[in-house]
Amino acid sequence: MTLIKKIVLTAAGLLIMAFAGIYAFRYEESSAEKPAAAAGAADSSACIASKEYMKANHMRVLGEWRHSSVREGNRVHVAPDGRKIEKSMNTCLNCHSSNRMFCFNCHMYANVKPNCWNCHISPMEAP
Amino acid sequence: MNEDRRSFMKKAGIGLLAGIGSAAGLFPALSLEKTVFPAWDEKPEPGKYRWGMLIDTRKCSGNCKECVAACHFTHNVPDFGNRKDEVKWIWKSSYENVFPTASNQFQSPEVTERPYVALCNHCAEPPCTKACPTEATFRRWDGIVSMDYHRCIGCRFCMAACPYGSRSFNWRDPREGIKLASTDYPTRMQGVVEKCNFCSERLVKGLDPACVKACPEQALVFGDLNDQDSEIRRILESVETMQRKPELGTKPSVFYII
Repeated sequence: MTLIKKIVLTAAGLLIMAFAGIYAFRYEESSAEKPAAAAGAADSSACIASKEYMKANHMRVLGEWRHSSVREGNRVHVAPDGRKIEKSMNTCLNCHSSNRMFCFNCHMYANVKPNCWNCHISPMEAP
Repeated sequence: MNEDRRSFMKKAGIGLLAGIGSAAGLFPALSLEKTVFPAWDEKPEPGKYRWGMLIDTRKCSGNCKECVAACHFTHNVPDFGNRKDEVKWIWKSSYENVFPTASNQFQSPEVTERPYVALCNHCAEPPCTKACPTEATFRRWDGIVSMDYHRCIGCRFCMAACPYGSRSFNWRDPREGIKLASTDYPTRMQGVVEKCNFCSERLVKGLDPACVKACPEQALVFGDLNDQDSEIRRILESVETMQRKPELGTKPSVFYII
């Protein structure tokens, strides 16, 4: 094998792996699934963002909500569709506690052990 | 040139990482962590409000514990029934414990034998926040000395720094000590310090603190110390009041009418 052939093969392999890596980890954004604007009232009848976004980033949303509401006193979140929502764990649980296993199913499957429920009342403990 | 499998894999790995890194830099959509969530508004103006409380101890009578019960239920404060593990946000204490440095040496026995309500003073110059190594406790934009329990590492420096004993440590899992839980407010966990939060969770809803609402004698007045027309300011300007250990310079926001 000549040197040039080797270099070309290596480069091609690297390129394929790089694109495969990017493809596997690419961020899936689906603008179609963002909730439609609710009429007027600030409610929690629809999630603040798309299912895909929340699946991947709910912990970051909660972290940012905690920081801005506790430290800066800014308790109003404006969803991409313009709805105003209170930054509170209770906003999430207003809907998601209807399924008591909502958090736990996924966390158990993924074997992650968040410490939220050391203090916050989980949907499983709520009456 | 001989290239073995091992060195090829090494180079390929480095190439892959570099590829992902540069691609993420060039196209933000390709970055692995997308956290942009630019939707914030209505930030409060720092220093506009300063919440304060006035306790009229002439009205605060005897052994009634409505304020303590209301507060401790609202905030899921545990009760283990012993002094060693005690956790308290608001409590009743004796004159010599609440005002150990009061200037009047010859107070009437009626005054010195009365019980006094004590709670966090939400000082304008809080020593506890200066002692906290993780900024878990801090003075808020509205004068409330608040705790971020997520950040508390349980070092108890703040308890040593507080001259009023307003902070309690959770030596045990607090959930064991809560008989009737309020689902509107979280509990704490073992190993964190906790204290009165001036009912900041009720203030955002426009409600008075739980203790103020629960007091059957209306002995507690809550209001904005920065507002000259507020009820608390009018009373403060017309009546002689006391503060706990004012000589320390902590500038408490809790005032007492003796």
